[in-house]
Order: sequence, then structure tokens, then C-alpha cells
Amino acid sequence: MSQGNAYIGLTAEDLRSRLHILTILLIIFGLTALYSISDNPLSIESSFMRQSIFMMFSFIIYLFVRRISLKIIHDNSTIIFLFAIGLCFIPFFLPKVEYTYRWIDLGFMTIQPSEYLKIGVIIVIAKYLSNNQLKIKTKSVIIIPTLLTMAGAAIVLRQPDLGTSFIVCAPLIPMLLWAGVNGFILFLIIAPFITIIAASNSVFFSVWAVIMLLCFLLARPGVITGFILYFVNIFAGLLTPFAWSFLTDYQKQRVLTFLNPDLDPMGSAYHIIQSVTAIGSGGFFGKGFQQGSQTQLKFLPVQESDFILSVIAEEFGFLGIMVIMAIFFLFIKTLLDIAFRSSDYFSSIVIIGLSSIFLSHLFVNAAMTIGLIPVKGLPLPFVSAGGSFLLSCFIMLGLIINLSENS
Amino acid sequence: MLKIDNKADVYTYRILFFILCFLMTVLIGRYYYLQVVEYDRHFSKSQINRVKAVTTYASRGLIFDRNGELLVDNYPTYVLTVIPYKLDDKESSFKELSSILGIESDELNRRYKKYYRGRMLPTIIAKNLSFEQISQIEERKLEFNAFDYRPFNERIYPSSFGYSHLLGYLKEIDRDSIPLLDKNLLYRAGELIGWQGVEKQYERELRYSKGVNYLEVDTYGREVFELEDGKIIALPGENLYLSIDSRLQKFIRDLLEDQKGSVIMSHVNTGEILAMVSSPSYNLDIYRGTTSEEDWDNILKNPDKPLLDRSVAGLYPPGSPFKLITTFNLLENNFIANSDSVMCSGLKEYGGIERGCWREDGHGLTDLTKALSESCNIYFYEKVQLVSLEDWVSTAKNFGFNQVTDIDLPTEKIGLVPDKDFFTKQYGRWGWSERGVLLNLTLGQGDLLVTPIQSLRFINHIATRGKNTPRLRLNLNSKLSYYDSIQYSDRTWDYIENALFEAVNSDFGTARRAMPANQNIPFFAKTGTAQNPHGEPHAWFIGFFEFEGEKYSIVTIVENGGGGATVASPIAGDVVSYFINSNTYIANK
Repeated sequence: MSQGNAYIGLTAEDLRSRLHILTILLIIFGLTALYSISDNPLSIESSFMRQSIFMMFSFIIYLFVRRISLKIIHDNSTIIFLFAIGLCFIPFFLPKVEYTYRWIDLGFMTIQPSEYLKIGVIIVIAKYLSNNQLKIKTKSVIIIPTLLTMAGAAIVLRQPDLGTSFIVCAPLIPMLLWAGVNGFILFLIIAPFITIIAASNSVFFSVWAVIMLLCFLLARPGVITGFILYFVNIFAGLLTPFAWSFLTDYQKQRVLTFLNPDLDPMGSAYHIIQSVTAIGSGGFFGKGFQQGSQTQLKFLPVQESDFILSVIAEEFGFLGIMVIMAIFFLFIKTLLDIAFRSSDYFSSIVIIGLSSIFLSHLFVNAAMTIGLIPVKGLPLPFVSAGGSFLLSCFIMLGLIINLSENS
Repeated sequence: MLKIDNKADVYTYRILFFILCFLMTVLIGRYYYLQVVEYDRHFSKSQINRVKAVTTYASRGLIFDRNGELLVDNYPTYVLTVIPYKLDDKESSFKELSSILGIESDELNRRYKKYYRGRMLPTIIAKNLSFEQISQIEERKLEFNAFDYRPFNERIYPSSFGYSHLLGYLKEIDRDSIPLLDKNLLYRAGELIGWQGVEKQYERELRYSKGVNYLEVDTYGREVFELEDGKIIALPGENLYLSIDSRLQKFIRDLLEDQKGSVIMSHVNTGEILAMVSSPSYNLDIYRGTTSEEDWDNILKNPDKPLLDRSVAGLYPPGSPFKLITTFNLLENNFIANSDSVMCSGLKEYGGIERGCWREDGHGLTDLTKALSESCNIYFYEKVQLVSLEDWVSTAKNFGFNQVTDIDLPTEKIGLVPDKDFFTKQYGRWGWSERGVLLNLTLGQGDLLVTPIQSLRFINHIATRGKNTPRLRLNLNSKLSYYDSIQYSDRTWDYIENALFEAVNSDFGTARRAMPANQNIPFFAKTGTAQNPHGEPHAWFIGFFEFEGEKYSIVTIVENGGGGATVASPIAGDVVSYFINSNTYIANK
């Protein structure tokens, strides 16, 4: 028995039904928003109808995933991972869909194989970390999970899909942390990325250099190792401007307009400006169902998928946002609880990985609509229109319920 | 179940829970800031000024002939659009409008459904508005507030060239066809797209690129201010220069008046098509949307099929020119000596069936040259017995039959050269014999089907003696490329050339009426009279001539016209005569 049972007052049964209720609430929210922005919601071409149909299809897959034996998933994790990697290579041999190699066009729907790579990476890492023979306290334990993640992220980045590539990386740190890896080592993994981002601004960079120094002093990695690691980080930051030239034009464009939206009021920033105006003009109570002028007049681009939160914010106001954020908060909290009270180590780590994916999708999508990060084109779980991602959300949910029931 | 206990500790749980709370706080905080603290600013921005992207258009590329004469021009008209969500009472508005426009309100309703794009987007419901109609709508602007008009370019044909199939036409895009179109060109319902002919073939080049204007508009959608930043200017499409000579084209069209058929003429050295006429034709103006249902019905039901572009999509038995296919086989395989002759008495029996020559009293003692120039059937009945079906079919395919010529037109047909598999499938394993079908094939009859443009490619191969035959083309600026070479001995080519020369120049040559009066140009040709189940035989003429050091070729077919010698040859002669006497293209080569 893990200590989770004592810590969390609810039974596993309670947690599962809570998760189901929260999912249904999210779906209702999403369909309401889609209904509102569809010109002709009952026609088969509307995003509302399409989403409803995909929902039924995904639900069937969900029921199927729920039934797969835990042992099969655990024992075949490497095969699942390799299969997902293989899937991600297929689009490179197909014609480009919308200028990228992200999708496989099946005619009636398009599949984005990187959705399944996310899950594959989590399962294979969880198996590795849950091995009894593994000496979790050694530093080298992070090497294999990091390499697996990087391999997955690199393929997705080539497609090119910066957003999903980030999502593939997101579960790594929480999973390692959950498995008991030394916090300072994890800090060493994250530090270079923060250094690179901070390098864009000399003030940020100086503040970060001080914080990093404090962390090194607290953790005491040894004088020489610490000295070397610290300055490698600083130099990485100083070299970032050169690395910049390797980004593709549209990535540069997105990063630049994010840093300074006034540079390009009609291009990438057009999305952010329209989105912020839509959200801000919703006020506390919102403009009402089908009353959002920004969304109804189609000022807002890709509003049925990437900017669905802006629709909700405009029509249902801050109140609506608080409700949906509360649902998401409880949803992810419930996942943490399920992971914590799970009696099986492998299941527990997988669930932490999956909840990191849900959380990072939520954060990146929401932060994008309010101009906190560049436009990334990541959908919101269970809410955004889009068959492939919806299906992958249902698969992840099925997996979580499955792991919780069987452990 | 897997017997490894969960080792997660409560501190890790708390760290992750803290991260969740932190991220949520950041998001909620930002939403609070935007929606509550900055609400007034954003709300007034959404009410008073919003930036709206408006698509702008430019004109489609024009089409010229090789001499720079304008064939297809743009003509600005006005179209009436309606914004669906502003339409309170559709029925009564349409009824009011129908009295102004003179269009039934049912018809308006039909177009509304066909071109509908969305509640907020303008839908085109009427075209070619006159100035009076615009002013009437403008006067009642309040009543017709859902309606608007905007300029829209139509195609217009300044010369009588509008009757040419090869130009093709534009079609309005409707909702159903959008998913089938190239996404990169950003088509929308109601816009025009090239749907036939060179308009379709060169759609990418001719089509304008759309631009974007950013306008600040108020709550009522009124434009307040135009922003210069980020504006994308719409660019007109590229102009297209055809290799056609419009005067020659017009001359041929007048010549074919009241006839069914096709005439194509090309410059052999470059593969450029100088004229390509299909008759009967029709006025391309019928596609401008003003043609009544009844007129449409008449065109569609016309038994002469005026919509069919016979030059590239008309399928005919090739007739006697296909004797050349047998000839190539005989010569290349050395099946005959030059002096070999056959006695033609006008009639001969094969497999129990009597077959005749077109000349009932017979050609007498006939050698290959005479058999070709006077088109003797008996000679070929006799000699084709030496050739295998497989060789014969592969020779025909070498000359480009049973495949497209790759001319830059979208509707080309491939025709049919029947082979062993075809016959077995069609007539059963025992239902045909190789000897039997060859008797038909050698006369260009039986199941053979060719298009006039394929026949033109055939004669061009012969004119260039099989080597470096330029690909046929209509776009004057496209790159010169070549068909696959055909490797035959010089003896074969000399022999064929001589026979075709005799056909025009000897006293009994079937193509002698093609020779322009008072001219002495090297002219080579073969005629054909192709039997068919639809009445009189089709009259064929294929030939080439040299003029001022360049080679030109011509193909003529008159559907159910009668004899190749008596009907097709004189037409070809008139065309060549006009070409030489007017002599306009030489300067523009």
C-alpha cells in the first residue's frame, strides 16, 4: 500500500467518476462554443456536427482502450513506442498537407501521428523508470529517458511542428521527478532552455544568472563541476543569437512578433490582437451566446480550434473562463490524485506523464490566446474542434481509467 | 498487478500540485487583467474600431495570338451580392428585386443557395447589372440594406475568335466544386475559374493573385479607415500568347461553315499550332450567364454536338493514312522489294469474303508507290499478310497513337489501337483471327479510333523523318521539347516521302487537288476515306509542305463528308493557298 491511500480521502472509484463528470462538462462547454460559431450548426459540414460525430467515434475507441490489459501495455511498451515513431515517418513519404508533413490524410479525416508519439514516449519511459533494478538515485538515470524524448521531439520538429515537439518534451521532467530523481539534476536539464529564452533580453538574462548561481550554491555539486556547468550555461545563452539563424522564417516571424507585436500588426500578431480584443471585450459576464461580435464577424482566425477559448471568453466572459479553468484545474488535480493513490508504480508514472500533456496543452493554448506566448497552434483538450486530437484525448483518458482500474 | 509498488512521495505530489496552481494562477490572472481591469479599453475597441481584412481582386491575364492580336479581353460588369445575416425577409426582398432585375425570384433563390458561403459573407446572386438597375437599388438603399454591388470582370471576345473551342471558357465556382480545386489558389464560391481549353490549361498563369486590404470598420460594418500596413496588393494574371494565327483560324472557320469536322495546321520545325478549328462551333459568350435555359437545351441536344472540340476529342477511324503503318512494317522488315507488284483487279476474296478496291475496275499492276499514291486496297490486303499484329500495333503506337500528344489542352482523348488483348476481350478467344483483323486495320478501319491532333503528330513524325519531332503546343512561350525518336532506315523514309510526293503530284494521286494553283512547293500528303456506321464516310487529308525553308503540316477531316480526294483535299488546298498568299506568320516565327 502506498501512502497515497491514506493521504487522499476518496476511493479510486470516486476519483474515476469525478474524472468522467469533469470530461463531460468540458465536452459540453466545447460543443456549446462550436454551436455558437457555426453558421449552420446542423449541417454536416459545420464544425459542431463534425465534432459531435468524431466524439461518438472517439468514445468507441475509448471503450476499447479501457479494456486492454495493463500487462500487455507494460510488456509491449517498446513496440508501442517504435510503432508511434514509425507512424510519424509516414507523412514524409506522402504529399504535404497544408505545407507540412504533420498529417496523414485518410479521406474522411486526417490523422496527426505525433499525437500518438506523445503517448508512446510516456509509456516507454514509465516502463524504464518503474524497473525495480534501476538505481534511481544515480545521475545517469536521466540519460535514457532524455534520449528517448529527444528522439521523438526531433522527428516532430522536422515535420515541422514546434508546438507538438514541445508537448513531447513536457512530461519528461514531471515523470523523472515522480520517479524520485534528484531535483538538482532536473534543474540542470531545464536550465539551458531558460538560459536560451532569457538570452533575448539582457535584464532577464542577468536576473536568471543570479538565480542559477543561487541554485548551484544551494545544491553544492562540487567546485569544479559546478563551475563548469555554470559557465557552459552562460555561454549557451551568449551563443543563442547564432543559433537563431537556424530557425525557419516562419518560426522567426512568430517569435519576433511575440516579443514585439507592434512589429507586424497584420501578420502573426493579427491573431493575437484580435484574440486579446475578443477576450477583453467579453468583460465579466460576457456578451452572451452567439452574441460575440469579434467571433461572429469572423475577425478571429481558426476560432473553432486554436482560439476556442477566445470565443468562450468573449461570449461567456470572465465568469465562463473561471468555470472552464476550474474544471481543468479539478481535472488535472484528479489525475494527480489517481497517480498518487495508485498502487502500481508503472501506472502511476504513466498517469503523471499524461496529466503533464493535458496541462501543457491547456497552458500553451490558453497562454497563446492571451498573448503570453507566441502563436503555437495547439488545441485545447476535449474542447477544440479537430478529430485527430480529440481521438488522442479519448485514448489518453481511456488509458488513465484503465490503469486506475487495474492497479 | 505488476508487483512494483508506487514509490511516489508526498513531497513530489506537492511540488506538482504547486506547479499546477502556479500555472492556473498565471492564466486566470491574465484573463482577469484583460477582462476585468482592461475591459473598457477592449470593449470600446471591439465596438468602435476593428480591423477587417477585405479581399481585393485584380484582372485575369489576357490572351493574344502569335501576331499580338487580342483574342480574349476582360470586361468590367457589376454583380449584386447579398449578406445573408442582414436579410430579414428573404422572400419579399427577392420579389422586390426580381422586378428591378427582371430575374425570377425562384432563380435568385437558386443562386443564393448555390453560392452561399456563410452567414456573414457576401453571396453573388446576379450579374451584368446595368447602370439603371444599380441606380434603382442605390435609391432604395435603406430597403435593400442587405444588398451590395461590386465590379466583376467577365471575359469578352473582341474578334469573332470567340467561336474557337481551344480557348475554353470560365465557370463560376459553386459550393460543391470547391473541395476539388487547388487549395493554394484560394478559390471561393462565385469566383471564375478556367473550365475548358487553354483557360483551364493555363489557369495558374492566367489567374490573378488575390490581395488583402485591412480596413477599420465600425459596429455597422462601415469602413472608417484604410490601413496601409500589411496591405497585400492584388496582382493581375500573366498574359498568354498563343501560337495561333487568328486570321488563318478565321479563314478556316469560314471554310468549314456548314461542315462538321476539323482542320489543324502546325509549324513542323517548332511544333507550334497555327490554326485549330473544330466545326460546328458556338459563341463562347453563351457562358456569360445570360443564356436562357431553352437556348442551352438547344445547344446540348443539337445532334451535331457543337460543344465537342473535334480537334482533340473527336474520335474517328483513321482510314487510308494508316496504310502507311503497314508500309513502315513492310519496308523496315524488308518484306518486299521495291519492284514487287500486286495485280489489282478491283476485287479479291479473303477467307470466303469478297473484298473490293475503291476503284472498281482495279488499279492493274500496282507497286508500293502506286498503292500509296493512288490508295490501292488490294495491294495492302495482299501485303499485310506478311506482317504480324504485334508489330503492326507497336508501329502505330510508336507514332503516338493510343496516347495523348501532350498538347496543352485539358480535354485530349487517347483513341484506340486495338491489340491482341483487346480483341480477345471484345470478341472472345476464338471470335477473331489475326489475319482477319489486319485486313481491316491496314485500311484504318475496324476498331481503330484516332483524333485529328494525333494524325497531325503522325504526319509531323514523317515530315521530320522520325528524329527530333517537336512536341505540339499552343503556348508560344512554352519550351521546345521533342517526342521520342523513331529509328527507321533512310531507305524507308525516302520511300515514304516519295510515295506521299506522288500522291500530290502524279496525275492519278488522290491528294492532287490539295496542290495550290500556280504554286510549285514540295508537298507530301495522304488522303483517306474512312467507312463508318454513322452514314457517309469521313474524308481525311494529312500532309506537309515546305515553304521558304520551313515545314508546315496540315490535317483535315470532314465528318461524313465523302471521299478524302474529292472533299478533304480541296479544303486543305484552300488553306495552304491562303497561308502562302497571306504569308503573315513568317515575320513572327
